[in-house]
Amino acid sequence: MSHMSNPLATPRQLYQRRSFSSLPSELQDAIFFATQCLTQAAGVLLKLPQSATAQANVLLARYWLVEPFMSHEFSDISAASIYLVAKVGPSPRSPRHVSNVYAYLLSTSSSFFRSPSLPPPSNNPSSYYLSDSAYQSFHNRILAAEARILYALSFNTHVSLPHPLAVTYLQTLDFLYVRKEKISKRALAYLNTSLLSPQMLYLTSQPNALAVAAIYNAAKDIGAKMPECEWWEVFDVDREELGFLVVAMRSLEGSARKMREDVPAMTEGMITRKTIEDEMKRRGLYAGNGYDMDSKALDPEAEMARQMDEKMAAMEAAR
Amino acid sequence: MTGNGKSRWADDEEDAALEAQLRKEKEEKKRLKAEKARKLGAEKQAAAAAAAASAAAQREQQAHYDGDEGANNGPPSKRRRLSPEHETAGAGASSSAPAGGSSDRNTSSSSAPKLLRFDGGAFGKSRSVEEYDKLNDIEEGAYGWVARAQEHATGKVVALKRLKIDPKDRSGLPVTGLREIQILKDCDHRNVLKLQEVVVGQDTSKIESIFLVLDFIEHDLKSILEDMPEPFLASEVKTLLLQLSAGVNYLHDNWILHRDLKTSNLLLNNRGQLKIADFGMARYVGDPPPKKLTQLVVTLWYRAPELLLGASRYDSAIDMWSVGCIFGELLTREPLLQGKNEVDELTKIFELCGIPTDETWPSFRRLPNARSLRLPTTNSAGARIATGSLVRAKFPLLRSAGVALLNGLLALDPDRRLTAKEMLEHEYFRQDPKPKQEVLFPTFPSKAGQERRRRRQTPNAPVRGQAVADLGAVDLSGIFSGREREERGGGFSLRMV
Repeated sequence: MSHMSNPLATPRQLYQRRSFSSLPSELQDAIFFATQCLTQAAGVLLKLPQSATAQANVLLARYWLVEPFMSHEFSDISAASIYLVAKVGPSPRSPRHVSNVYAYLLSTSSSFFRSPSLPPPSNNPSSYYLSDSAYQSFHNRILAAEARILYALSFNTHVSLPHPLAVTYLQTLDFLYVRKEKISKRALAYLNTSLLSPQMLYLTSQPNALAVAAIYNAAKDIGAKMPECEWWEVFDVDREELGFLVVAMRSLEGSARKMREDVPAMTEGMITRKTIEDEMKRRGLYAGNGYDMDSKALDPEAEMARQMDEKMAAMEAAR
Repeated sequence: MTGNGKSRWADDEEDAALEAQLRKEKEEKKRLKAEKARKLGAEKQAAAAAAAASAAAQREQQAHYDGDEGANNGPPSKRRRLSPEHETAGAGASSSAPAGGSSDRNTSSSSAPKLLRFDGGAFGKSRSVEEYDKLNDIEEGAYGWVARAQEHATGKVVALKRLKIDPKDRSGLPVTGLREIQILKDCDHRNVLKLQEVVVGQDTSKIESIFLVLDFIEHDLKSILEDMPEPFLASEVKTLLLQLSAGVNYLHDNWILHRDLKTSNLLLNNRGQLKIADFGMARYVGDPPPKKLTQLVVTLWYRAPELLLGASRYDSAIDMWSVGCIFGELLTREPLLQGKNEVDELTKIFELCGIPTDETWPSFRRLPNARSLRLPTTNSAGARIATGSLVRAKFPLLRSAGVALLNGLLALDPDRRLTAKEMLEHEYFRQDPKPKQEVLFPTFPSKAGQERRRRRQTPNAPVRGQAVADLGAVDLSGIFSGREREERGGGFSLRMV
């Protein structure tokens, strides 16, 4: 059965990530979302099959439930996870290839994570030229990060994806008057989008549930008539879980938009640890060890108290 | 979504209680609603004909379904009415309540049907090798270092295998090691060595030493065979082969090619249980098999003819060839085909199994290295014997079912070679003497347990990145020249037609 199931996050892991991190949750979400997008973009440029890139997304998400966000540069972890998945899978990519792609995506020449309202950046090859020493140091960093990811996941790189299941399920379902290509495309789009969701759906639900929720959403979008029984139970998904996933899958668009408002840096290219530190300073949350904080920043204690109040209020509201 | 995300994952008791209550309330509401809908349907049949009828049909169908399943049949009135609109509403509700999350979906309401639950386990950091105490080294060979060790906490004895890492390798951790770990982690079969966990050296800031924690098994078949004064009994050979084929069948069923089966990779514990070990060469394959697989697999003496002839597309049949070689070795205590190099190995194979012909191996000539081979022509003197197998002559004590099995495993044409499943059902295992019970197996002094030191003689599996041997133009036409004489010269050997 290992081909149909994934190791899932424990409630404790999820709780600890949310509650004990020094980063406010919206910044955590922004880092998660941006880095997963970066991984996808790199997968496209590396001409990797989506099955490999998606696995890299899932490994990355698992890694961050075990290790703190700020211990490595986000793009390094992204590169290491994609390098690792490609290496153990059928389509390996050389470190040189990976580093070139990341150098480009992080350069000012790429349109990655730049506001679509701005004109596309001009192509300036020197902005993504990697000197030999820069390449060496990048190479060292991804090797170290690769080992770190494996250590954090106790060397378990198994990921089973819901995509093939969704196709199989669709073949057993009969959606009247709708072409199967149309609905399967839409369902796969939902599955791929869910990889980016900071709700970490791939770590909380098994592939069969993700596949069914994606099919449900796709059928709703296209207006396909679904069977009038509780058909999801045939695929071992209960109604409650399906409902949760359906909403979660649909919510990403809105939360991504909100993220861009919350973290303006997200429209200026890939966010880095530096961006996050600056953002923390701006909010007066940065705990620099004796490091001189911006004079404009609020009194850190007052800010801390305010933050705790907010957190409590949020928890109350959530109940 | 992000706001209430914080608490969705919370899992303290208070939350659980709250969730339980919420769920109860929700269910109560649903029940009332359903009841109302049903009454409404009964009273105003004309008005709400379509909806109510479908809902009722639904309920009936569901009740029927439940009955079939043997699950707890809730009263029909408890069933909720379903429509897509309702569904989204319900979905909204469940996502705003923390119950919709992942934490406790197993404790669903009592009327829920029986759903299959997939348990993939959890993930987390590796433990440290410091959890184990080293007892003694077992071996240090081409694959690295293996030691016997004991876990502090449980006192359990395990084998620690250190993954060989070349710090100069700029591609990072070795892909073969990672594949081995992944495959062993996915496997769960009594005849496949169990990987308990992977631990790392004490300094976790830089992952430099990685250890596989494996079941400790006292012997490997190779060293038992080397030291036995008498070969295994026929019944013992059957038990070993049956276990081997069960393990290989499990691997092939799970799309795994072992690619390095040999007696030194088969472990045997003191209770007669055989375990397949060393997955350093193994990989997952699909169906159809990938187009380009490395030919540098399987230790030379166990390597199938299609690999020697340069096939880059091969399948589980290569493992079955190795199983055939192991069968022969179990009978004689000597490796069956001890070639000095690729050409010599091929010569030995053809000597035993005969020269391939268009009938015995139709696609043979299309293999890359076959073109340069010069084989004895069919109209020369030894042709009749040369194309048939000599297995029966070589194993005079084997009965015909055993010969048939060995011939089936050593079929030159991979498409005609027996599969593991066919082997399991083979007549050989049903004939007398029956396979011996595992518990009745003799015990041996354990080298790994330091009752004796271990040495190793078999050549090792090829190393990735080695140049693939190009057989070049090879003249095998002379290999059968002395054969007629040998056959007649042997005092007790039977001449086979």
